Amino acid sequence: MSILADIRKDSRSRKDSMLVLGSHPAIIQSILDFDHLSGKKEPSIVGIVTANRKAEKYFFGTREILIPCRPGIGGSDAPAWMLNLQSGRRTYDSTVAFFETYPQALGGHIFAENVPEKHTLDLMRRFGRKHLIVGPSGVGLLVPGALKLGAIGGIDLAQMAASRIGTKGNIAVISTSGGMTNELIRSVADHGHRLSFAAAIGGNLFLVSALTDLLMLVQEDPDTDALVYFGELGGHDEYEIVDLVKARKFTKPIVAYIAGVIDEAFATHVQFGHAKALVAHSGESARDKRDALRAVGVGVPDTFPEVLAALGTLPQKRFTDAPFAIDTLLRRQKSILSTRQVADTGALSEGPYVKAMLEALIGRPVRSPVTLAFADAVFTYTIDHGGQVSGAVTTMIAARAGKGLVESLAAGLLTVGPRFGGAVNAAAENWIRGVAGKESAREFVEGMNRRSELISGIGHRKYRVGVPDPRVKALSAFAKKLEKHPHYDFACAVEKVTTGKNGKLILNVDGAIAALMLDILAECEESSAEELTALTDAEFFNALFVIPRSVGFIAHFMEQKRNDEGLFRLADDLLFVRKETT
Amino acid sequence: MSRVKITEYRAKKLLLGSAYRGIPVTGPDAVLPKKGRYVVKVDQGVKQRLKKGLLFLDQSAAEVPKAIARLKRKGFSRFLVEPMAGHKAADERYLSLERVREGIRVIRCDEGGVDIEERPEKTTVSFYDVRKADRFLAHAVDVFEKHYFSFLEINPLVGDTPLDAAVLVDSAAAFFADGWSEEDIVSASASHPAEARVADLQNTSPASFKLTVLNPDGSLFFLLSGGGGSIVIADEAALKGFGAQIGNYGEYSGGPSREETYLYAREVIGLMLASKARRKALVIAGGVANFTDVKQTFLGIIDALGESAEDMRKRGIKVFVRRGGPNEKEGLRLMSAFLKKHHCYGAVYGSDVAITAAADDAIKSLRA
Repeated sequence: MSILADIRKDSRSRKDSMLVLGSHPAIIQSILDFDHLSGKKEPSIVGIVTANRKAEKYFFGTREILIPCRPGIGGSDAPAWMLNLQSGRRTYDSTVAFFETYPQALGGHIFAENVPEKHTLDLMRRFGRKHLIVGPSGVGLLVPGALKLGAIGGIDLAQMAASRIGTKGNIAVISTSGGMTNELIRSVADHGHRLSFAAAIGGNLFLVSALTDLLMLVQEDPDTDALVYFGELGGHDEYEIVDLVKARKFTKPIVAYIAGVIDEAFATHVQFGHAKALVAHSGESARDKRDALRAVGVGVPDTFPEVLAALGTLPQKRFTDAPFAIDTLLRRQKSILSTRQVADTGALSEGPYVKAMLEALIGRPVRSPVTLAFADAVFTYTIDHGGQVSGAVTTMIAARAGKGLVESLAAGLLTVGPRFGGAVNAAAENWIRGVAGKESAREFVEGMNRRSELISGIGHRKYRVGVPDPRVKALSAFAKKLEKHPHYDFACAVEKVTTGKNGKLILNVDGAIAALMLDILAECEESSAEELTALTDAEFFNALFVIPRSVGFIAHFMEQKRNDEGLFRLADDLLFVRKETT
Repeated sequence: MSRVKITEYRAKKLLLGSAYRGIPVTGPDAVLPKKGRYVVKVDQGVKQRLKKGLLFLDQSAAEVPKAIARLKRKGFSRFLVEPMAGHKAADERYLSLERVREGIRVIRCDEGGVDIEERPEKTTVSFYDVRKADRFLAHAVDVFEKHYFSFLEINPLVGDTPLDAAVLVDSAAAFFADGWSEEDIVSASASHPAEARVADLQNTSPASFKLTVLNPDGSLFFLLSGGGGSIVIADEAALKGFGAQIGNYGEYSGGPSREETYLYAREVIGLMLASKARRKALVIAGGVANFTDVKQTFLGIIDALGESAEDMRKRGIKVFVRRGGPNEKEGLRLMSAFLKKHHCYGAVYGSDVAITAAADDAIKSLRA
């Protein structure tokens, strides 16, 4: 069988191409990482058989790629391998479909544990002779630098690097246990050797490709000098090793651990973790197997630590570790950093909703009832200011166009900006500058005028000196609850200057909210100047408008839905069309 | 996924269909016969019932309920009542079928009641060949294949009537088999409630969980990962002469979530606290995992340990850990910090030491 030679050859021959049945993102990404770190130019996975999507996104190196998905097995390619990640119930049908569609495929791996014995035996009879099919159960087949068919070798970059699975060596590992395969691959590396290939055949009673097939793979592989084998009690597979060694069909050195002497400590035979791991007939105990193997000269130490020591005696072959540069890949894995702590406690919070909201935004507890009362007032006043404002109009137009709640809300929010609702944060920046800086209010206003900049927080289309904005009046009462209010003072000083020129340039609600919230946070919550600047940099003050105004937009949306007047069209006489003069 | 026993009732019902007259007794609602003579036996996968006094021959209809009551008092809960049919011992035969790689292995013997493992020379072994099969065998194999049997033993078979039938079915085929279901599966000894809860967990998760209570008053308790690694660690305890002290065998693997691992760990910790041993130790260990997340699973174990940390500290129980795999560093760090905080720290090792290290340390500490 030259399968291993084929796989190891130049990857342009695509003897590593695999079709994945079912999906398991972590395993798939680990295969792509292995491919990249092995120096391949293309990923070995050519497609994923799964319903409901056209592609899945993964990384190949640091580049994002799409792996095409298809609902059925057939396609225009001819994959060499099947990686079947489906559940035990579906495995039989999909495996049959794969090998009937691709009779030239080299083989595959069946990951599922719960495959009925009958199905396994049927697959064995139909496909086990011509193809190398590892499983069911277990974690697959690994050929360093060439093929990672399954979870074998690990899925974590640091683990894969520590196991040196990028380096081609001369020791084969075959095991009934997925976990122990990984353990032994690591141990082989720790004891100064490298892997030629590894197969985790799984803990089921029956296998599709027999242990003999895998042993002959070892025997015929010119790159493999010795075998490390992990077996356990139950079933008769290890007697295949005995037969091959006796018949001199297998001649390479073996270090084996047969697990399960623990069974002797109990009155009745115990069913251990793997399906096969039960002494059902004589000869199936760990001791019987150990004795039989030793009788033909196979090295079977009594204890596992002795197996580790025996690894040191395996034939050495020089190797050069392939660079397995995982650092850039590790950085890639942290896509979004979040430190927000969220817990499902099921406990009712103490205090009003506005407290939970503020604490979520500010990121720390809010202590003063003045802060809460102010925020509550701001949120209440800001919910709605009539359907004429641009955001509400936009929401209503979207609603009447038949759009849904989220789309209509989003449409209205898109009008929020420096001219509408979005000035609160810019006003906060002004007041912070004023309190920190050396400018007087007059100098500040004249500076803005010179630069032709509007002063956020100042001015209103409707309200003016003499016709105050009731919201501003109500909010200003909070200043009396504070000992000091420097931001508010500065804002009022600016208002005095600006209204001197134009009665409409009053401190508007945006400016009032910004100024008072800054003062309240400074005094009642002991926020430092740095903290206030950081909040402004993160647009905290605009959130104080957006959150309650969203409620208002949604209310307009709901009303429009109830009215159901149909698509909005601006009345002709409301649109001024200017004829261009030529 | 392993071979499990079903009741004799179900086995015979599948073999004989409506011709079978046995009455299964699983609760107080069973309709018992009013006349005739009957065999009353325990139907829970127990062998050698006659010898153990779990089978009563030739009971009158009036005696049947009394026989059941006697068996109940011995701790059993499932019974089978069958019409008594006399026969000659000379007519007894033995037949078993087993699914093996080569096909169906047929073992026959002209005597009934034989222990075939002890007297193999009396048996004829062959592989099933439909061309050479008599009617009964052909029918038995038909039923065997249709219902995903893995093993069928009829001992004795009298004519075409199985007087006793033991069947192992392939539990992985539960989804496909419509002749039997979970309710027909029995285990010989009563399940410990912790084992039953872990079996439930196994049934409702794609990951793997196993728990077998061995010595409830043992001093060494195991919270192990991996079907293979768990046996290696348990072997180490046996090879160090500590086999009798092992409280439980078990393993979790296959990438369980934090919450699932919490539920599993809780069972093991509960067993450990209930043990009457004076000194106890907990070994949390496994190999270098392929894809099970060490951090997530260790967080689940810490959640469970947190509920009993006070108890454990008071009794001087120490925890010994060895594990490798994805997110190993974080997982071991969290575990280490937790154990030190609660004064339960025995040892915490990663993939740089042998898989057996934690168990070795635990045994040393119990012997000190």
